[in-house]
Amino acid sequence: MSAQPYGLIATFDTAAAIYHAAETVRDAGYKKWDCITPCPVHGLDGAMGVKRSLVPRISLAGGITGFCTGMLMIWWTGAWNYKLIVGGKPLFSPMFAFPISYELTILFTAFATIGGMFLLNNLPMHYHPVLKYDHITRGLDDQFFVVIEAADMKFDAKATRALLEKAGGKNITELEH
Amino acid sequence: MSAPAANIPAANATHLPAASATRANCALYAGIAGLAATVIGLAVSGNVHAVAMSYLVGISYWTTIAIGMLMLVLIHHIFDAGWSVVIRRQFEHGLAAFKWLFVLFLPLVATAFIGGGDTVWPWMNPAHELLHGHGTVATDILYQKKGAFLNVPMFVGATLVFFAVWIWLSARLRKASFAQDTDGSAKWTTMNRKTAAFGIPMNALALTFAAIFWMKSLEYHWFSTMFGVWYFANCIRAALAFGVFIMVWLTARGDYRGILNKNHWHCIGTLGHAFVIFWAYVTFSQYFLIWNANVPEETFWYNLREHGDWYYIGMLILFGHFFVPFLYLLSFRRKSTASGLLPISIWIAGIILVDLCYNILPALKDAHGDPLPFFSLNLLWVAASVIGVGGICVWAYLRSFATSGAKLIPVRDPRITESLTYHE
Repeated sequence: MSAQPYGLIATFDTAAAIYHAAETVRDAGYKKWDCITPCPVHGLDGAMGVKRSLVPRISLAGGITGFCTGMLMIWWTGAWNYKLIVGGKPLFSPMFAFPISYELTILFTAFATIGGMFLLNNLPMHYHPVLKYDHITRGLDDQFFVVIEAADMKFDAKATRALLEKAGGKNITELEH
Repeated sequence: MSAPAANIPAANATHLPAASATRANCALYAGIAGLAATVIGLAVSGNVHAVAMSYLVGISYWTTIAIGMLMLVLIHHIFDAGWSVVIRRQFEHGLAAFKWLFVLFLPLVATAFIGGGDTVWPWMNPAHELLHGHGTVATDILYQKKGAFLNVPMFVGATLVFFAVWIWLSARLRKASFAQDTDGSAKWTTMNRKTAAFGIPMNALALTFAAIFWMKSLEYHWFSTMFGVWYFANCIRAALAFGVFIMVWLTARGDYRGILNKNHWHCIGTLGHAFVIFWAYVTFSQYFLIWNANVPEETFWYNLREHGDWYYIGMLILFGHFFVPFLYLLSFRRKSTASGLLPISIWIAGIILVDLCYNILPALKDAHGDPLPFFSLNLLWVAASVIGVGGICVWAYLRSFATSGAKLIPVRDPRITESLTYHE
């Protein structure tokens, strides 16, 4: 066990309890912390003060890249690299480049969305310190957890523990790295 | 965590009949004034064809909205949807417009029997002269091959069937939904689900053939298998835009306070966004296939629409009907708030009217066979018709809203709680 623990984990029994606990932790100004719930809790992101994800921006960038790739590819093959008149049509027209651009827009958007999500979530992640916690499997079943990392600027072993107690957390435990 | 149904006074409150009645009367007067202006136009404009075609645009526009509302209600039932329960009732009120649309469409049916019969649809008159000395409709091989379908009895019969389908489906949906307010029986939900199961194909066929008979046949040489789908896309987009108007109006008045949350706005915004893409997909496909195949019987339709100011209208539709709403609605904030959705819904409702003009009005030709310009006196008759038919439709909606006895939202729908607390 290293000198500094990974953080503190606290247990809550109901969705309402973790919702209010999240508000408390958010208002105390913590940044590096998370909630573990067995089911989606509506409004929890708001209670945690989580901002909108950056993934849509990455998706948009992927889509624009895909569209331009399609247009460029058709222009390059038909009007630059190997000029060939087909069906009396111009060497390049956005008309016939549109279907392929449209498909590549969707494809690149999908790649960017998946890739962006993996990147922003630090995936793939094969190990996480909470997995060492004995009761963590209850988080897949019937219990709710708040984890505050020691890496947080505001983290203080005593004060943070007191905050979690005040928020109604039970079985507050130090997590190893 | 929103309040449960019982805690929302607006849901069970009776409406403000006096206020609604006044508003309904205003709409009725506006409608009568618009129709009167259209009649005056017939008398003074000197171009009966132009006024009649403008009237076709006006009535098509409001029929488009009503068909879209009918389709949204049917789709709601077939998917057993939850989120849209609180909005569905307003669409059901909107369906009250169908019987008036039928009455207002009768003058167009009558044109088949007045004069040569070709006031609106040239193929109705066998003696109608084709351009450039190509004989008449009766001697036109392209008409002869289509004559079994494109003839006056078929047109009249089909139009009667379309309205019968719409009025009957609307009556069934409204009856079951309103009755459930009183007894809360689940049998009404089952009945509506069954109505939806056969109603969706019936409505799909009716709207497709309506688009073919009323609009596409104006240029009967032309054909496009995408036309019905294009019309369907406009129907849904128009209904969603008007759905947003109603939601904004009822929120501003206070009725929807505590009922709508951000997720309802997000849902209608997302659905609208999806149909922007769907509309673009079918409209582009139609253009692309005709452009690529380069068959004269198809390409002339777009050539007409590149003549004069129609070229710019086409560009306006390309950018205004697709790119502007598509890029605008990419933003989560804009598609999930009333203030974000209202401006784009007004824009979409307007551009759909332009789209209908683009598909209908170039059939009006001058002596050289070129389409009459978009910016002309005809726009006045289009405006008069849109206000005329629209006033009657809005009046029908408000009258149903105030006097049908139905609650603001389907308070005893099995999914009402799910809808009221949607994603909360």
